[in-house]
Amino acid sequence: MKILFSLFIFIGVLFANDATIEVIKKADTIPSIAVEDASTSYDGTFKMRFFKTLIADLNVLSIFNVDRHYRISDFDDSRVLVDNKDMQYVLRYKAFERDNGSFNVSIKLLQKDAIVFSKDYSVKNNDIFMFVSHAIAYDINQFMGKPSVEWMKRKVIFSRITAPLKSEIVVADYTLSYQHIVLKGGFNIFPKWANRAQNAFYYTAMDMAKPTLKYVNLKTGDVHDVISSDGMMVCSDVNSDGSKLLLTMARNGQPDIYLYTVATKRYKRLTHYSGIDVNGQFMGNNKIAFISSRLGYPNVFSKTLDTNEVEQMVYYGRSNVSCSAYGNYIVYSARESSNAFSQNTFNLHLISTNTDFIRRLTATGVNEFPRFSRDGDAILFIKNYKGQSAIGIIRLNYNTNYLFPLKYGKVQSMDW
Amino acid sequence: MKKIVLSSVVTALIVFSGCSKEPAVDTKAQKVVAPVAQEVQAVQTETVAPENSVVNSNSNEMSMADIENKLPTIYFAFDKYNITPEMQEKIDAAAKIGNEDDAKSLNVKLEGNCDEWGSDEYNFALGLKRAQAVKKALVADGIDASRISMVSYGKSNPVCTEHTKACWAQNRRVNFKVLP
Repeated sequence: MKILFSLFIFIGVLFANDATIEVIKKADTIPSIAVEDASTSYDGTFKMRFFKTLIADLNVLSIFNVDRHYRISDFDDSRVLVDNKDMQYVLRYKAFERDNGSFNVSIKLLQKDAIVFSKDYSVKNNDIFMFVSHAIAYDINQFMGKPSVEWMKRKVIFSRITAPLKSEIVVADYTLSYQHIVLKGGFNIFPKWANRAQNAFYYTAMDMAKPTLKYVNLKTGDVHDVISSDGMMVCSDVNSDGSKLLLTMARNGQPDIYLYTVATKRYKRLTHYSGIDVNGQFMGNNKIAFISSRLGYPNVFSKTLDTNEVEQMVYYGRSNVSCSAYGNYIVYSARESSNAFSQNTFNLHLISTNTDFIRRLTATGVNEFPRFSRDGDAILFIKNYKGQSAIGIIRLNYNTNYLFPLKYGKVQSMDW
Repeated sequence: MKKIVLSSVVTALIVFSGCSKEPAVDTKAQKVVAPVAQEVQAVQTETVAPENSVVNSNSNEMSMADIENKLPTIYFAFDKYNITPEMQEKIDAAAKIGNEDDAKSLNVKLEGNCDEWGSDEYNFALGLKRAQAVKKALVADGIDASRISMVSYGKSNPVCTEHTKACWAQNRRVNFKVLP
């Protein structure tokens, strides 16, 4: 008995290096940072907005203990403010406006009064100040030698339901503080970035005779039809170079997953089950992950592109309704409460195809639609609670979650 | 122990028997009739055609709305798209209406819908499977398949937004929309 027990412990310890095992960081082992505002232009309200955005971004980096006090200093002071003398780092920035109306920020990262990093930023106007803040946080993260947070600089595209069968498609930054409506009026849903540069996207137009997948070039404003299907038409995933799409189409009311080649406009049916097969996700290694009801309830499966072999991925839970894949990792949304008679809880779980571990990523509420960032460092998801929507971010390597509420409407689907 | 088991069984029976599904047909019908009626009146004042043809187009427009009023809404259980015996009777009645003289030339669009739970892509598919189940049942009852089209709205077209089980039950439905 003792031997068996110690054998179990020994084997458990062997599988130590895996993102599915929780990493808990103690707050007192990370360095402290304070932020000093040395701006020479702009009114108090705007300066406070920029400061708060910068504090929020530094927090999301999860590598600092961020001091939230708003303090003003002079950009060229050789020493940090007296109040900040015990901080390990001080970020001092100067925001100023040039004659051409451009928004400029110069930063200095000070470590015990010595400048260790400095950079200048400039954008056309101060409406997009949040992107400068994200760029500053990204560069500081790079300087500190931490894993990349490139996703911070990327745009999120989402569809928002404003009334039954009415929606808007919006492009935003990851905190939703910048929002630009790119498609208004009608019922347009399931937007998906078409390429890495984020200068084009696909979406489904429902107001036509048949649901139609459309392509929009954000630079030229050109919109054209890609493909239509009776009943249902969704672009579930785009591969890394934008040359192939995974579509959910429903010829004759039968929802299945198809692989579509953009250049040739040809498609190939990938699933043949007579129930529901949706939410195809490219996994690499010529495989896809998807949701299927072939066991009588929605669950996560994987399949190679060339054969009909289907493998069950998750052996836990009774309703796993949405998934996203990155390399060997799959994140999925699982219904965790009983049924139609009470408020339901949906939580996100992470599994690896290499191990048997499952890691639960959220604890409460209705968490759905998980999406891995391009670099696999973070997961974006939608949290709906009591009719209010928020976009959530999970930093996988730091075990931290952040929420950014939406002021009106419900998020229907999104991509980043 | 026996008493506890007995009283919990009785409580469960009471709870389950209380879950009846009330069709929302009446309110929906009222919403549909008004715009069609207004359309008809405009034709009346503008047309110069002989009375007979005006009367015909009148009665055609009116009866489409009438027919849609008579058609049921089909409801489904949580996460399911199979037709229950109770709903099968409603579909049988709908098929009968569809084969009557004044409805024979009309087509129908089946709109599948879901409650608010679950991811929207899965819900779109579930709504579509519900519409497809109703279509199969209609075809089995003698309606020509070419007269039936389907669409799914997932959870984007709720008839109510309260977070109650009664509201969720009302949203898990297929609606009939009559087309010329």
